[in-house]
Amino acid sequence: MSASTWLAEATAVFVKEWRSELRTRYALNTFGLFAVTTLITASVALGPASLAPVERASVLPVLLWLILLFTATAGLPRAFVFEEETHTSTALRLAASPGPLFVGKAAYNLALTLALEALVVPLFLILFDLAVASPGLLALALLAGGFGLALGSTLVSALISQARGRGTLFAVLSLPILLPLLLFSVQLTRLAILGDAPGQTVEALLLYDASLTVASMMLFPVIWNP
Amino acid sequence: MSARLSFSGISRRFGRKRVLEQVAGAVEIGQVLAVSGANGSGKSTLLRILAGLMPASSGTIEYRLEDRLLDSGERRRALGYVAPDLALYESLTVVENLRFFARLRGLPASAADDAVARVGLAPEAFYGTLSSGQRQRLRWAWALLGRPRLLLLDEPFQNLDAAGEALARRLLDEHLENGCAVVASPITLELPKVHERIHLAG
Amino acid sequence: MRKALLYGLWLLMCLVIVGAFLWAPIAKGFLGESSRILFFHVPMAWTAFLAFIAAGIWSLLYLIRGRGVAHDHAALAAVELGLVFCLLATVTGAMWAKTMWGAFWNWDPRQISITFALLFYGAYLALRSSVPDPQVERVLGAAYAVFGLVMAPFLFFVAPRLVFSLHPQPVLNTQGKVEMESRMLWVLAASSLAFTCLFVWLLGLRRRMLALADRIEES
Repeated sequence: MSASTWLAEATAVFVKEWRSELRTRYALNTFGLFAVTTLITASVALGPASLAPVERASVLPVLLWLILLFTATAGLPRAFVFEEETHTSTALRLAASPGPLFVGKAAYNLALTLALEALVVPLFLILFDLAVASPGLLALALLAGGFGLALGSTLVSALISQARGRGTLFAVLSLPILLPLLLFSVQLTRLAILGDAPGQTVEALLLYDASLTVASMMLFPVIWNP
Repeated sequence: MSARLSFSGISRRFGRKRVLEQVAGAVEIGQVLAVSGANGSGKSTLLRILAGLMPASSGTIEYRLEDRLLDSGERRRALGYVAPDLALYESLTVVENLRFFARLRGLPASAADDAVARVGLAPEAFYGTLSSGQRQRLRWAWALLGRPRLLLLDEPFQNLDAAGEALARRLLDEHLENGCAVVASPITLELPKVHERIHLAG
Repeated sequence: MRKALLYGLWLLMCLVIVGAFLWAPIAKGFLGESSRILFFHVPMAWTAFLAFIAAGIWSLLYLIRGRGVAHDHAALAAVELGLVFCLLATVTGAMWAKTMWGAFWNWDPRQISITFALLFYGAYLALRSSVPDPQVERVLGAAYAVFGLVMAPFLFFVAPRLVFSLHPQPVLNTQGKVEMESRMLWVLAASSLAFTCLFVWLLGLRRRMLALADRIEES
C-alpha cells in the first residue's frame, strides 16, 4: 500500500471519529463534567493555601495526573469498545486495513487527550495558584505523557472490545501499562514546577512512548483480526 | 476475468460446542452457492469464517481473483457482505457512512453516491432513523460498494418489502454477470444460477 | 528415567536447604542470619523472570508459527507458574526487607518492578478468563504476553534506575565482579539450578493438564 493511501485511510478514520463526536459530544461532555467535578473537589479540599509550600511540588503533580488519568479513562476506552457495542466493527473489519485504522483511532484519542489537558491544566494552575519554573518542560511532560496515555488506552481498548466485563477489564489491563508512564510523567511535572534539571526522566518517557508505539503497531493487526 | 472461492474441511468449535464439521464448497463467476439449515446450524458462522471475520478451528479457504491467490486480509477487503449483524454509524447520514467506507477502500466518493442511488434511499437520512427494511437496503448498498466480485449474503431479503426484495434480486442478478455469491438462508430461496447447495445439519 | 530425575531434583533441593542453613557463611553487611533467605529469594525471582520471558517467546511462536495449541499451553503454564514464583519472591523479599530496612514494603525500585510484574501477568489471566471464544482468547493472550516481552526491559531495567535503590547489587553487577564468598556462591548456583529444574518439571505437568483438559472439552 502506498504512503498516500495509507495516510488517506488514517485521515478518514480520524475525520469520521470527530464528525460523530461533534454530533453526539459524548466524550467531550464526559471529559468536561468529570474534569470540572474532580478539579473542584481537589481545589475545595486543598485550595491554594492549605498545603505547605514544600509539599506542593510533590503533591500537586500527582493530583494533576490522577485527574488526567481518571478523566481519560472515562472516554478513551470507547475507541474500539463502541464499535463492538454498536456492531459497526464488522463493517470496519471488512473495509479498513489495520495499520491506518489504529493510527486514525490513536490520533483521535490523542486529540481528545490534548483537548482534555488544555482544559484541565490551566484551570489547575489557576486554582492552586501554581507557578511553573520551566513551562517548556511541563509542556513536554503533558505532550509525551498524553501521547502514551492515548496510545496505551487505544491498544487496551482494542484488546477488551472482544471480551466480557469491559469496564473493569480496562482498568485491570491498562494499569500495569500506564503505571510506569504515570510515574515518569509525575516526576517530570514535579521537576518542571521546581525548575530542576530533568536528568534521564525525559529519555525514559520518550523511550517508553517509542516502545509503546512499536509494540502497538506490531500487535494491533493480530488483536483486531484474531 | 476470473474469481473463484473454494473452501474445504471447515470446522468450528466454541469450547465444547461443535458448530461446523468438515464443510466444503466452491463457487465461480456466474454461480450461486446456497447454504441452508435450521436456526443454529452454523450458516452465519460459516459466512463469517468465509469473510475472514472469525478464525476457523481448522480448514482452508482460497479466494482467487484474476488467477491470484488473495491472503485473508486482502480477501476481507475485496468482498461484499450482507448480514443481520452488519450495522453502520448512527450519528452519520446514509451517504456519509458510505463515503467513509468508500474512502477506506480507496474508492472515489461518487462510488458511494452511486450505491445509495441504486438502492433508492434518501442520502441525507441519518442511519439511526432508518427502518429495519431501509437498513437492509443500505446493507446491500454497502456490500456493492466498489462492485466486489464475491458477495457473501446472510439472509439477504430479511425485512425487505416486495419492492425491496425485487430490487435486491435484480441487484444479485446484475452482480452474477461478473461475480459469484454465497447465499445463506433458513428457508429455500428461489434463486437463479444455483450451482451447488450445502445443507448444514447442525 | 523420569523417576530418577525427580529423585535427583529432590536430593539437590535437600542439599540446597542444608547448605543454605548450615554450610554457607553469613554475608557481611547483613543483619543477623538474614542473608540466608537470599538463597531462596534470588532463585525464585530468577525463575519468575525466566518464566515470563519464556511465556513471551512461546506466545510469539504461537502467533507466527501457525497457531499450534501446544505453544499456547506452554505460554499459559509459564505465566501461571511465573506468578507463583513471583509471589513467593515478593513474600520472601518483604520478610527480608522487614529485617534489614525495618519495613515490609517501602517501594524500593525492585519492589516496584515486581509489583508491575504481578499486576501485568495477573491482568493476562484476567484477560484470558473474560474472552468468551477460546480461539480468540488464545490470540489475545498471546498478543498481551508479547506486549509484555517488549515492555519488560522498561519495567525491569529502566524504571528502577531512575529511583535510588537500597537493594543489594545483583550477583553479577555492572562491573562484572563477583563479590561473594565462594561457598555462598556454590549454594546460590545450586539453588538456582534446583529452582529452574523445579519450574521445568512443574511446567511439563501443567502443560499435560491443559492438553488433557482440552481433549476432554473436545470429546
